[in-house]
Formats: sequence, structure tokens, C-alpha cells
Amino acid sequence: MAEGSKAQGPVNPLDFWKQWSETSTAMWTNVLEGGKGTFVDPYGLYRPWLHSIEVAQEQMKESAKGTIEPTELRKQWYEAAIGAWAKAAEMGGDPLGLTAQWLEIMEENRSKIFSGGTVPADPFTFIKQWYDASSDTWAKIVGDIIGNEKFVENASQFIESYTSYYMATRRANEDYFRNLQLPTRSDLARVAEIIVALEEKVDRLDDALDDIEDGNSQVATKDVITELEGRLSRVEKRLDAISSALEKLETVEKLAKHTEGMEKKLDKVLEAFAKNEASISSTATEVDVVATRKPTRKNARNPKANGSKVEAKQTV
Amino acid sequence: MTSENDTQLDIESNLKKYEAGLQIIVEGARADTGQTPKEIIWTKNKAKLYHYEPTVEKKYPVPILLVYALINRPYVLDLMPGNSLVEYLVNHGFDVFMLDWGIPGDEDSNLTFENYVLDYMPRAVKKVLRTAHAEEFTLLGYCMGGTMAAMYTALFPGKPLRNLILMTAPIDFTAENTGLYGLWTNEKYLNPDHMAAAFGNIPGDLVDTGNRLAKPVTNYVGSYVTMWDRILQGKPMDTWLAMNKWVNDGIPFPGAAFRQWIREFYQQNKLVKGEIRLRGMRVDLSAINCAVLNIAGKKDHICTLPQAEATMNLISSEDKEFFVLDSGHVGLLTGSDAKKSLWPKILSWLELRSK
Repeated sequence: MAEGSKAQGPVNPLDFWKQWSETSTAMWTNVLEGGKGTFVDPYGLYRPWLHSIEVAQEQMKESAKGTIEPTELRKQWYEAAIGAWAKAAEMGGDPLGLTAQWLEIMEENRSKIFSGGTVPADPFTFIKQWYDASSDTWAKIVGDIIGNEKFVENASQFIESYTSYYMATRRANEDYFRNLQLPTRSDLARVAEIIVALEEKVDRLDDALDDIEDGNSQVATKDVITELEGRLSRVEKRLDAISSALEKLETVEKLAKHTEGMEKKLDKVLEAFAKNEASISSTATEVDVVATRKPTRKNARNPKANGSKVEAKQTV
Repeated sequence: MTSENDTQLDIESNLKKYEAGLQIIVEGARADTGQTPKEIIWTKNKAKLYHYEPTVEKKYPVPILLVYALINRPYVLDLMPGNSLVEYLVNHGFDVFMLDWGIPGDEDSNLTFENYVLDYMPRAVKKVLRTAHAEEFTLLGYCMGGTMAAMYTALFPGKPLRNLILMTAPIDFTAENTGLYGLWTNEKYLNPDHMAAAFGNIPGDLVDTGNRLAKPVTNYVGSYVTMWDRILQGKPMDTWLAMNKWVNDGIPFPGAAFRQWIREFYQQNKLVKGEIRLRGMRVDLSAINCAVLNIAGKKDHICTLPQAEATMNLISSEDKEFFVLDSGHVGLLTGSDAKKSLWPKILSWLELRSK
């Protein structure tokens, strides 16, 4: 399934993550220990915050021994938080000045929240009040930080480092599972790619069929065939006309032949008639019948009638 | 005695509210989104083409095809009943379709804008025309989907495309116009090739984090302050839950397309220069000559106003309008302001151009 395997033995992917984790930790530690490092700790902002909560919890435990108002609790917590942040700011380790700015916001909001003397008892209302009072300033400060080239440069290095380790781990994982004769994500992806390619072929067929149905393709559609039939029918009619003309021509030829035949027959009749006329002439001379008139064609065609006249004359 | 009972009830009620809030934080927001009835009429790889079932008689012969970005999910266009652009258009007699790119898998890490704009979109358009029995259509692109829609229009101008609507569509990626993204994606600080090589597809969480970091206080704190406020005051949570679900529902960005997006668009700003080439075909925005409605939000930090406005000088259309709203990237599309401003605007603009 896998495309070959490397000669070296499997590498435990956990080693890579461990290595990366150690490097990252060292990087952040360097920042926290004096801000001499090049990297910014994105979680640094929250550390004093968490510390302030711990301090507040301790104070609350102490206060719980007596009766204490919730508003007083808020104040105590707030003061504790400010104290923790102030301590963190004094320690340094904040190249972007986040802690100092945060402390500034907290102090500014202290006056806004507690000055009226109406600290809400409900913790959520208190938090919302605090958020409403601080969010604009906070958003501006954070916006300035994340839009700062120094921050982006550090974030970029972090992403590059993470990406490199991720890539190395991924390769290590691949080798590890390949050596264990197990299919990996890459193997599955390759199979899936083949299926997608196959689907693409089916898509093309589907498209071609659609084109045929939509009439976009160069194939004979019903309309084209109907039109072709019409054209064929017209051609057929023309052929019929030519054919009938030809047939007419044949009839004429036949008539001509027939006429010719008739003429020949007539010629023969005339010839026979001429012979007959000559014979009649000689007979008339003998019987003394006036036969000075030449036989008309009518008479010639009806020798019998002519004959009857002759006979009548003869009778007269 | 009554007072004690009231106090007891108050405590119980508040406890239930806190429980509800904590449940959302721990389990994530749950909401039924994308509920407008629809049918899948075509699929390709992970992509699906939806056809929304008409609720009234079709009034306009020109159908609308919605195209969303490659990141996040497209159901923001059909967020929930009563808060859905899709539902609004369907209820006004439009034939509406939506192209959902789906969730890419490892096998899709090589998909590029060539695949999406030249293979997927033209085929989807064919299916839309075929299903709607139409000869023309309107293309509506949102966010990166708008950029893709503009590229498609530039490559296939004229029929069958009749109208183009660009909603918060980044076109000009000049560093001064792109705000924080310009800095973060600067080639000095971001190597998209390296990231794509490492991850294959860029994880959705990573993309989401980048987007949320642009307004960290609002996204990481303000949103949850609003949640608690609504819960404790007993206000409806539907919209908040749907939006929160969408915000946290990022999908992987195909590696090859991510490389193009960062390198060619953000770092080299090739689109406005006419230097984007898809399979050798130059994407020349001046080829766009259909009717164009270009929408942008004054408070949009993802597609800033100048990024969208630049389109107006790059296209050749005579019928073009730049419509600006006093909203952010998503607020422009959903919520009460959208119902009063954006949706009626799209409707009135389309009514005149869909007959």
C-alpha cells in the first residue's frame, strides 16, 4: 500500500513533540526570565490574572471567617488583582508592555466601577460592568499590539517553528506506521484521490449526456432529423417531378415511334393505293368509265366508298 | 415565608441559567441552521448544489446562484428561519440555488482556484439553468465567494450571466487596504508554501483563530459577555447560538488554494493588476460588463471598504452600483439591520433585472 519505505527504523513521533515542547518552553522561559529573548509569551498576559484569582481566593477564605458583603468581596478581589499585576509589572519580562498597560486599565476602571458606591452584588453584573468600562480601551491596546511588527515577527517565528515540527512529526508518523505495515492517512488520501479522479470521468460523461439532452452537442437531435426529413421529402418531390418529366419524354418518343410507324403504314397504304389506282385506271379504260379525276386522300382512305361511287356511276 | 420561597426560586432560576451558560461554553453552541427546505441537485467531489424549494409561485425567470467562500460554512446565508437571506429571496418568488464547496479532505489538498472557478462553477451554472429552465442567471458571491464570482464573470462574460452581486468581496489586496491581514500575510512573516507543505489543508481552527484575532476582545470576550447577558436576562438565544455555532464551525482550507490566496492575492495583489491566470486564461476584470451590485460594510475588517470599492473602477459595466452599509462582515448579512437594509436592497435591485 505504501510507496516504498525508508531504510532507517521507525522514529517515535512522541520524541519530536517532546523536542518541540522543550524548545518552546525554553523559548518562553527566556522571555519570562527577563525579557531578553526574542519571543513574546502569548500566555504571559494571563499568568498574573490567574495569580490574582488565587490571591483573591485566599483573601476570601480569610474573610469568610466573618460576615462579608459581596460588594466588599469584589473590591477585595479587584484590589488583589491590581496588586498582582503591579508586582508582575515590576518584575519586567514584558517586552511589549502588556502588563503595564493592563494595570493602567485596571486602575482606570477601579474609579469608574467603585466610585459611585453601587457595586452590584451579582458577580455577572459586576463582570459586565467591568467589561463595558474597559472593553474599548482594552480592544484598542490589543489592536495596537497585534498590529505591531514586533508581535507579528514573534508570532511568525512561533508558527514557523510549529509548522516545522508538525511536518517532521507527520513524516515520522508516516514512517512509523508504514514500518508497522499499517495504512496511513496519506495512503487513504491516495485512494480517495483515485476515487475523485474516477468521479471526474463520470462527471464528464454526465456532462456529455446533458449536452446531448440540451442540444448543445454536435449530434443529430429530433429537430435536426425532422428538418432533414423535410429536406429529403422536398428532394424526393423534385426527383418525382424529374422522373415524371422523363416519363413524359418517353411517351413522346413512343408517340413519335408510333407516328413513324403510322407514317410507314400510311406510306404502304398509299403505295398500295397508288398501285390500286393504276390498276383501276387500266380497268376504266377498258370499261369506258370516266376516271379523269385523281383519287382524293379521303377516297383513298375509303376505297370502298369511292368504289361504291364508281359503282353508282357505273350504274348511272 | 413567601419571601423565602421567592428567594429560593430566584436561586434555582439563576442556577439553571448558569448551568445553561456553562453547557454552551463546554459543549459548544447547538442550533438548527440552514433549515430552508432544499434539494441537492448536483454533487461533485465534496461540493453540493442546493435548490431551495419554492414557497410561492415563481415570479422571476432569472434564477440566483449563491457562491460562498472556501472557509467557514455557507449556512450563514440561510442561518435560521426568519434570519435567512435565502429564505427571504425564496419567499419573494426567486428561484434560489447555492453552491456549497463542502469540507475538503486530505485528498483535496491540491485543489486550486482553477478547479473551483473553471471546473466546479461552470458545471454548477449549467445545472442551475437546466433545473430552472432558464437562459440567464444571477450570480451572488459572498466574501471570498465574491472574489471567485468576479473571476468567473471575467472569464465567462455575457450570456448566460445576467447580473452579478458581490457581497463584501475583496478585490484589491493593496497592503494599505487590507488592515491587519496585510501585515499578517506579509511575505516577511508568512510562508504559505511551508504551511501547505506541513498541513496539507490548512486547519479550520488556524484560519478561524486568524480571523478572530483581528478583533480579539469582541470575539473572545465580548461574545460571551453577550451570551451571559442574554441568558441571565431571559432573552432569546436562538440567533446567538446559530451565529456562535457558525463562527466556530471553520473548515480546512485546501492547501494549494491557500497558497494561491496568500501568495497571489494578498502578497502580490495580482487580481487588480490583471495578472491572475487560471489554466493560462487571464482574469481581466475589465471584461465584466453585466449589471453589478457591489456591497460593502463600513465596519468590515475582513474585507475592508477600499478592498471592495476598487471593483467599481476595474469593471466595464455601465449598470453598476456600490452600496455601503454601516455594518461588519457578518452583521451586514444577518440580524435586524440586514432585514431592514441589505435584503430589501438586493430584492429591489434584482426585481428590475430579473424579468
